[in-house]
Amino acid sequence: MSAIWKVVKRNKKACSGVFILIVYVMIALFANAITDHKPSKRVARPHQEPSIEHIMGTTRMGRDVFTQFVHGTRTSLAVGFSAGFIIVILGTILGISAGYFGGKVDEVINFFTNIALVIPQLPLLLVLAAFLGQSSPTTIALIIGFTSWAWGARVTRAQTMALREKEYIQSAVLMGESRWRIILVELMPNLASIIGANFIGSVLYTVITQATIEFLGLGDPLATSWGTMLYNAQTTSAMHVGAWWELLVPAVAIAVLGMALALMNFALDEVSNPKLRTFSGLRIFNRRIAAIEYEKSLKLSERAA
Amino acid sequence: MRFVSRRLFFYLVAFFCAATFNFILPRMMPGDPVTAMFASQGTPLPLETLAALRETFGFIEGPLYLQYFAYLKSVFTWDLGYSVQYYPQSVNDVLSRSLYWTLFLVGVSSLISFTIGSMAGIYAAWNRGGMFDTLFSPLSLVLQSIPAVIISLLFLFTFGVALNWLPTGYAYNIDLDPAWDWRYISSVMEHAIMPITTLVIVQVGGYLITIRNNLINLLGEDYIVMARAKGLSEMRVMLNYGARNALLPSVTTFAMTIGVVLGGSLITEYVFNYPGLGNTLYQAIVNRDYPVIQGQLLIMTLAMLSMNFLADMAYVFLDPRLRHA
Repeated sequence: MSAIWKVVKRNKKACSGVFILIVYVMIALFANAITDHKPSKRVARPHQEPSIEHIMGTTRMGRDVFTQFVHGTRTSLAVGFSAGFIIVILGTILGISAGYFGGKVDEVINFFTNIALVIPQLPLLLVLAAFLGQSSPTTIALIIGFTSWAWGARVTRAQTMALREKEYIQSAVLMGESRWRIILVELMPNLASIIGANFIGSVLYTVITQATIEFLGLGDPLATSWGTMLYNAQTTSAMHVGAWWELLVPAVAIAVLGMALALMNFALDEVSNPKLRTFSGLRIFNRRIAAIEYEKSLKLSERAA
Repeated sequence: MRFVSRRLFFYLVAFFCAATFNFILPRMMPGDPVTAMFASQGTPLPLETLAALRETFGFIEGPLYLQYFAYLKSVFTWDLGYSVQYYPQSVNDVLSRSLYWTLFLVGVSSLISFTIGSMAGIYAAWNRGGMFDTLFSPLSLVLQSIPAVIISLLFLFTFGVALNWLPTGYAYNIDLDPAWDWRYISSVMEHAIMPITTLVIVQVGGYLITIRNNLINLLGEDYIVMARAKGLSEMRVMLNYGARNALLPSVTTFAMTIGVVLGGSLITEYVFNYPGLGNTLYQAIVNRDYPVIQGQLLIMTLAMLSMNFLADMAYVFLDPRLRHA
């Protein structure tokens, strides 16, 4: 923990990322304390410009945009984090099983992972959300969580396979340590940064995808989230009557959270790789490619042998 | 050659799985799709009419396995039945009408992103830590974390509605007849500016980062030092020795991002009311047009598979080690 804190303090980009996320989490946790009324309550005349009373203006329905933003933060973060947990748990279990046990287990898991990777994600999610009918935020979190584990599984698998060949794992096997101990004590700490990056990436992906599903009107229009705010702004043609605040607030909220999570990935890089001094790019991207390259090189060496 | 045939086999199996999934999906949902489709019309239809409609739209009676075989046959002969929404038209008609627009958007934006992203990435890697690198490398990542829906909405609001510089809907001015003349083509171009820019912003960062980080890793390699020692110009070392090898993983990126781009294209088309596949899928979903939805998912899976296969082929072409396998 202290190592992470040190890195965060030193790295300005990571620092701002963590700071923004903390602000969002605070807004979500204390939503009821910050706002005076329910997000669905009509408090003023429709489409009032931002003023002292309503600092982010009001919607077509006369609802306070600030209140909606605060409660929307709660919904969007809750969906993001819960789907993120599902994705990480599934991805990690599948990835480690495939990478560590190898053989038949690996073949089966890898096959399904590869299939899941070539099925177009967003169209499928839209169809699922539509078939289930006005999906609530919980439903959306579940369908995203259970359909988006493939990348995490693939990256974790490749890294596990690489680690498995390391001497310290081999010696643990020779010492007769149990599989569980090897996986939990020897492997997991070295996979921590990949699992963390997977989590951050998944939260970001979920928040974006949820907003997209709801913006298209396939979510529950009565729930308050950033996606339904966008949807309501679109259906009441806020854009065309000049009510820019109704559109801009959820848009900026999503964009800023996206930036914060991207910045946090930098911090993670520095924890996992202390030599990293300057900006090194989004590691998750490199890892994904590294995973594929690694598989290709494995195939090559198989053939050579 | 074994590599190629093994990949082909995998893609065939993958397509089969996707098709099966596509078969199960509407049947898993509560209610009878055909009844649901026509429930919105108000007057209840006679039973025999419903039965006839069921057959027309591919939901034949009988045990599930027979339905499945009939479905597989329709998929492999690419005879996908009729659209509910635009009834006398077949699914193929509906899809082929919108396919070109999506191909246009995705193709042009991918090409632009690949070119700009690769060149900027090479430049950033060669002058790493410089002004350009410190500014644009993080910026491209930040841009990448902003979803297509936000970018397209902001574009639409700023340039379409507030400033009124660019047209806000459809692929061309509908007063014009499609023809190969300047007025029509310029209208198409004008309408494509915002959707394509959105898709470029979504993609370009990925290419920039991939090639930048790869090139940086390659810079220490012996053959780069060797090229320098031979006294070759900096430009030549950068492009012929460095970039050429660093491009390889960009091919993987290309295959990897196609799903993201298809998703981005879907939402962009919806926002700009562009008549592509994504918008058609959205309309089909809203109108419960199951045959079109099924056809859409199939064609998008097919697009993903063929892009991945193309990337594999490019790999065989670029990496001689795979050719001898």
